[in-house]
Amino acid sequence: MQSARDEILGRLKAARKTKPRDMPDVQQSRDPVQGKEEMIRAFTGMLRLETGIVHRVENSSRAKEKLTEIAKEEGLKRVMVSTDDVVAPLDLPAWGNSIGVQVMRSGDFAGRDDYKDAVFDIADAGITGADFAVAESGTLGLILDRDQPRLISLAPILHIAIVPVDRIFSVYEQVMERVFKKDTYPGQFVFITGPSMTGDIQGHLFKGIHGPRKVIVILVG
Amino acid sequence: MKILTDAFNDLARKGVEKARARPFLKTVPHFLYQKREIGLASLPDVAEAHARGAGIRADVLDRLPELLEEFEKNAMANGAKVFWARTAEEANEYIVNLARERGAEFVIKGKSMVTEEIGLNDLLSENGIKPWECDLGEFIIQLMDSTPYHIIVPALNVTVEEIRDLFMAKAGMKEPTLDPVELGYAARLFLREKFHRAEFGVTGVNMAVAETGTIINLENEGNIRFAKSSPRTQVSVMTLEKVVPTMKDAMHIMRLLSRNCSGQKISAYVSMDSGPRKEGEIDGPDELVIVIIDNGRSRIYQDPQARGALRCIRCSACLNVCPVYRQIGGHAYGWIYSGPMGQVLMPPLLGLDRTQDIYRASTLCGACKSVCPAGIDHPGLFLYYRSLDVSADQEFRGKKRPWREALFFKLWALAVKNPWMWNSGISLTRPFINKNSHDGVMRRMTGAFGGWFKTRDLPPVARKTFHEKWKETKKKH
Ligand code: SF4
Repeated sequence: MQSARDEILGRLKAARKTKPRDMPDVQQSRDPVQGKEEMIRAFTGMLRLETGIVHRVENSSRAKEKLTEIAKEEGLKRVMVSTDDVVAPLDLPAWGNSIGVQVMRSGDFAGRDDYKDAVFDIADAGITGADFAVAESGTLGLILDRDQPRLISLAPILHIAIVPVDRIFSVYEQVMERVFKKDTYPGQFVFITGPSMTGDIQGHLFKGIHGPRKVIVILVG
Repeated sequence: MKILTDAFNDLARKGVEKARARPFLKTVPHFLYQKREIGLASLPDVAEAHARGAGIRADVLDRLPELLEEFEKNAMANGAKVFWARTAEEANEYIVNLARERGAEFVIKGKSMVTEEIGLNDLLSENGIKPWECDLGEFIIQLMDSTPYHIIVPALNVTVEEIRDLFMAKAGMKEPTLDPVELGYAARLFLREKFHRAEFGVTGVNMAVAETGTIINLENEGNIRFAKSSPRTQVSVMTLEKVVPTMKDAMHIMRLLSRNCSGQKISAYVSMDSGPRKEGEIDGPDELVIVIIDNGRSRIYQDPQARGALRCIRCSACLNVCPVYRQIGGHAYGWIYSGPMGQVLMPPLLGLDRTQDIYRASTLCGACKSVCPAGIDHPGLFLYYRSLDVSADQEFRGKKRPWREALFFKLWALAVKNPWMWNSGISLTRPFINKNSHDGVMRRMTGAFGGWFKTRDLPPVARKTFHEKWKETKKKH
């Protein structure tokens, strides 16, 4: 018997071809923003429209001070942090010790189940870096891998992202070129724009249906 | 799920009655439509952007088998498994067996129209594996045992009172409330436990990128991300037309889809999987299985015109703008697809005989065509399906019309082409037609044309034809 695959493809190939139409190449967004400050401004404005909170600090020690402020305001007791190249150098466990916040990392757990229990039930917030940001829509781009586990930016009710300003790009295409340039692509890549939300109960919009209710971005630089 | 596409008239009447009692049904599609306009305004040139969207979708159909092969090759190189299914049954059987082999007690599902189409939930339940719909709207209609009212906002028609009662009875809500936010949090609590414990996740696919073997999902809630992060097994189900050539094309469609759907520049989450989790990663699936389903598409594909229906990217703009959908709502269409997109897809999918009223329930106003980012010519397809039906097309099971109707139109065609016949025909039939006129309007008619007048009125035929009047005027002067 012919396999389903061969049968389906065979049927498609046997069908009459249609003529290809021309496809206009279009400008991707209205006046794509250029220049560092302009991109920072656009990114910030766009993310605020989606109720994201954006702070800007000069350097990483200021970023840690900002985190301390946020931890106080939000009453954070236990946080789960990634170990990506933005967050790891900040040495957040030491930071947590100094202000009485318990800092957990995926590597601290014996296995997947313990880690899941913590990220779902214990963490008050997830703190991550971001590989990219896109000015076009106030979007974060995260390559999910061993140092950037998927659930940290998703399961806790608060997501705090630390983003060096030189990671902001104008449009998605510039990011995709960089993510998909190598032979091995990341298992998952995600664009995040603001909190988790829904309009499914009579069109009433609200935030935090499954994922974070609040997204705070600290721009560094 | 029962397919009721042949009960359109009854369902539409019920739909209108219900919509009257629930005014928000009228406001939400309008509201979404307005948000769409605002969202589109951020594109430099909407017409051009839509033309490119239409071009991409046309290109996909031109090269469909080749793109699917390319996608399969790259997805497998990324470490994904690819399973092809000719029919809904084959797909369901495969997924259920896999869930059984993996020892799944329950399954979490991200929002996906295709798993509704194949009726996966029923089969899982029959096999003792509980499927949990995790998109809030889908969750609500699953608890209600209902079907989607709208392809993007499935529970649009459900009132807060109904949701309160449902959640109290079936979702462990403790305190009754009518606040949509509180209701949402009750669902959050309930579903969170499912996300946490799940070992088997099922999602749909918005786009499958041939160039990289990547699958892409757009969503606002995060339920799809959970289904792709927490379980050990991820099954992503797509129909074969979901493929797009390149990542650049995918980004363009993503912009169009988000804007046309809800007016957003981009949906809250866009997740892109190229294979399962990698060595050393603590979450994400051990295995990613992509199920490519035909279920009638390759048959539609044989017909170069009907093929156009496969361009759809499920943005729902045509539903929100359709004057018919706005009156009757989504349940009138009798199955999971509704509005103009359902009207172009269901007839060739289910057969022209089972969808008789579906492709006729249109005034051909073309509002759908004017908003479609995929370049679908809905009115053209409706006319095409009607013509196939009248000529008893074999492939799509056209029914042919009753002989009296066929005869009438033959005579009609003859008469309108011949002035002499037309004029004498009018004078001959005028007294019979005008018998139905009361107070200067014909509201009803007995006999074969009765049906037409059920929902329409006509003025009576004038006492004199235009030509007669013209002659008289000329004589006077
Ligand atoms: S037919 Fe066009 S407008 Fe309607 S849902 Fe599909 S892509 Fe959108």
